[in-house]
Amino acid sequence: MKYSTLATSALALTLAAGAAKAETSAAAVLETYANIAEAGYADSLITARALSDAVDALIAAPSEQTLAAARAAWIAARVPYQQTEVYRFGNPIVDDWEGKVNAWPLDEGLIDYVAGDYVVSDENEFAALNIIANTAFTIAGEEVDASEITPGLLESLHELDGIEANVATGYHAIEFLLWGQDLNGTGSGAGDRPHTDFAGGDACTGGNCGRRAAYLRAATDLLIADLEEMEANWAAGGAAREAAMADEAAGLSAMLTGMGSLSYGELAGERMRLGLMLGDPEEEHDCFSDNTHWSHYYDGLGIQNVYHGRYTRIDGSVVEGASLAELMAQSDPALDADMQARLDATMVALGEISDAAEGGLAYDQMLAMGNAEGEALIMGGVNALIDQTRAIERIVAALDLGGIALEGSNSLDNPGAVFE
Amino acid sequence: MRLAIAFALTVAQALAGPAQAGVNEALDDHILPGFERFAGASADLDAAARADCTAPALAVPFHAAFDAWLAVGDLRLGPSETGALAIAFWPDTRGFTEKTLTGLIQQENPIANDPEAFADLSIAGRGLFAIEMLMFDPDFADYGPESYGCALVRALTADLARQAAALERGWAESFAAVLRSAGAADNARFLSEEEAVRAIYTQILAGLQFTIGSRIGRPMGSFERPRPARAEARRSGRSLTNVLGATEASVMLAEALADWPLPETRAALARVRDTAAAIEDPAFADVDDPAARFRLEVLQQAVAAMASSIETEIGARLGLSAGFNAQDGD
Repeated sequence: MKYSTLATSALALTLAAGAAKAETSAAAVLETYANIAEAGYADSLITARALSDAVDALIAAPSEQTLAAARAAWIAARVPYQQTEVYRFGNPIVDDWEGKVNAWPLDEGLIDYVAGDYVVSDENEFAALNIIANTAFTIAGEEVDASEITPGLLESLHELDGIEANVATGYHAIEFLLWGQDLNGTGSGAGDRPHTDFAGGDACTGGNCGRRAAYLRAATDLLIADLEEMEANWAAGGAAREAAMADEAAGLSAMLTGMGSLSYGELAGERMRLGLMLGDPEEEHDCFSDNTHWSHYYDGLGIQNVYHGRYTRIDGSVVEGASLAELMAQSDPALDADMQARLDATMVALGEISDAAEGGLAYDQMLAMGNAEGEALIMGGVNALIDQTRAIERIVAALDLGGIALEGSNSLDNPGAVFE
Repeated sequence: MRLAIAFALTVAQALAGPAQAGVNEALDDHILPGFERFAGASADLDAAARADCTAPALAVPFHAAFDAWLAVGDLRLGPSETGALAIAFWPDTRGFTEKTLTGLIQQENPIANDPEAFADLSIAGRGLFAIEMLMFDPDFADYGPESYGCALVRALTADLARQAAALERGWAESFAAVLRSAGAADNARFLSEEEAVRAIYTQILAGLQFTIGSRIGRPMGSFERPRPARAEARRSGRSLTNVLGATEASVMLAEALADWPLPETRAALARVRDTAAAIEDPAFADVDDPAARFRLEVLQQAVAAMASSIETEIGARLGLSAGFNAQDGD
């Protein structure tokens, strides 16, 4: 009801302002969307290669400096990658792949040594497997030869036993190897793995330093291979690009599905509010490095990028083009303005979390039970993300894309089939 | 522009279309009485725990409270958006409930005697699933009347009753009015009646999705690796009860929302009941047996077919698609 009224007024506005500017087409919007994905994965790959160089340097000569450089490279690699997370939901090619790269949360005892009070849940018998310390182990009655830690071995152990917390690969596995467990609870400080965990001979701490280095090397190689695959998927002729561009309504629906699902279920719900309500300092996305505030911030920025059709690359250059914002402004300028305002409000709220974290109140400290200031900061982000989700839903309704999700429904295609 | 919207909405309200009537009926026939019953059942459980905290004495009121919860427990809207999480924290994929309860008991943490502090406790250590673990898990259930476990159960039931009362109030005294006034000029949450209808419709489908994917899907696991230990409320043997209760609740809510008959949905519900009757173990512990797993799969398909029927009979008819829901993440 509202939209038909608004659409009429909007049409008048468009006609008045129109002649000067060519109409934005859905196809052009989708092309920008694919271009930003390609650039985002390309930047993720560039920064992952820089991480790889830093890992080489660390392994060749473990020191406080080389470890710090590798950590800095990991943090830099998160900046473009988190901005691509908005491509996950809505694009099956990305969603099916994502678990290898950014799976979270993890039972890190699968990978390496953990502190004595590490709790193993009865759901995961491999939560303390410690691949680094064991050259062979038995899984479901079968002996696994882990004498050599290779990318192939890690891939085969990822999500072991069908348990998602068995994360053997990706950013967070690498993060754990670079930082180690954060044993400060809700006190200040991140993981503090010593550089000597990668040292040779008698200088080695934590045991199995050579295998730990091999694990870090293999996990980093896998990350690069996975990112190469996804960049190619969005390049000209790539499968993800073709899929997104094949059908305009489905493509726009994928864009909005990604924005809404990341905003609401994933970021506001799973990663932010749930962690707060569990009051557990390790229920933060980057729990080893205490980089969570930036991961959330760049997730939010990625959502905004998709709407505005504009992405600032790591070298400062800009990828931009026809945008969803322009498309909405043509048909419903009020809704577009509301969407923009809500996206901006989210970035303010996520920025406040980042400012507080950089100012000394780390994200895990915000999670502490009874920390009213931390709770207010996190809930500020949660509420802003929920608010923007409502505007995204209104855009879905206004563009009348709703039928898309129902296409595969048995009952609609053939109502009788349900009872056969 | 704002005037134009307000005018359009006034016209819509004057016409009092079927959508608006559906929102009122969803509230009055299902949601509000559901929260009232849950608050009453939670208060009964708490009163029973005051009289006798031991597990056998609480079985009947515990099941009654859980039954009442299922009628409204899958709603993630308004006060329930956050409130439901502290009443029913499940699935607990990393054992947080056991970890939290074990920690409290080992320390004999005085928080059990401090209701205000207890409300700040991790949601993993509160609500129906924490109570269930204390009452039905062999590692916890033998607590005596003078033990710390007894004090903890009383703290949990008191906290549950307090939460249930707060939810009831939140819906009755505040959020119901927000839904009812959808489209009014001063309603910033729902800009049109359609948005309120869509919000409730989304809850119906999201609840069914949760039953299909989690309540049934988690214990099913894969054919090679069924997961009986992942069944919801398996300790109290309520896994099947919860599937049925949640499914029936979604039909009741759908029927209240639609002021026209839903024959296909009704027929699909009958099929859900039939397939459920064939399930032998109410805790799905027999899912290791291929025949039992198959029966669970048939039940899952029946619930999915019912969700399709609701999409046809409500969604397609209103030209409505579900909005985002909390399970849209991983």
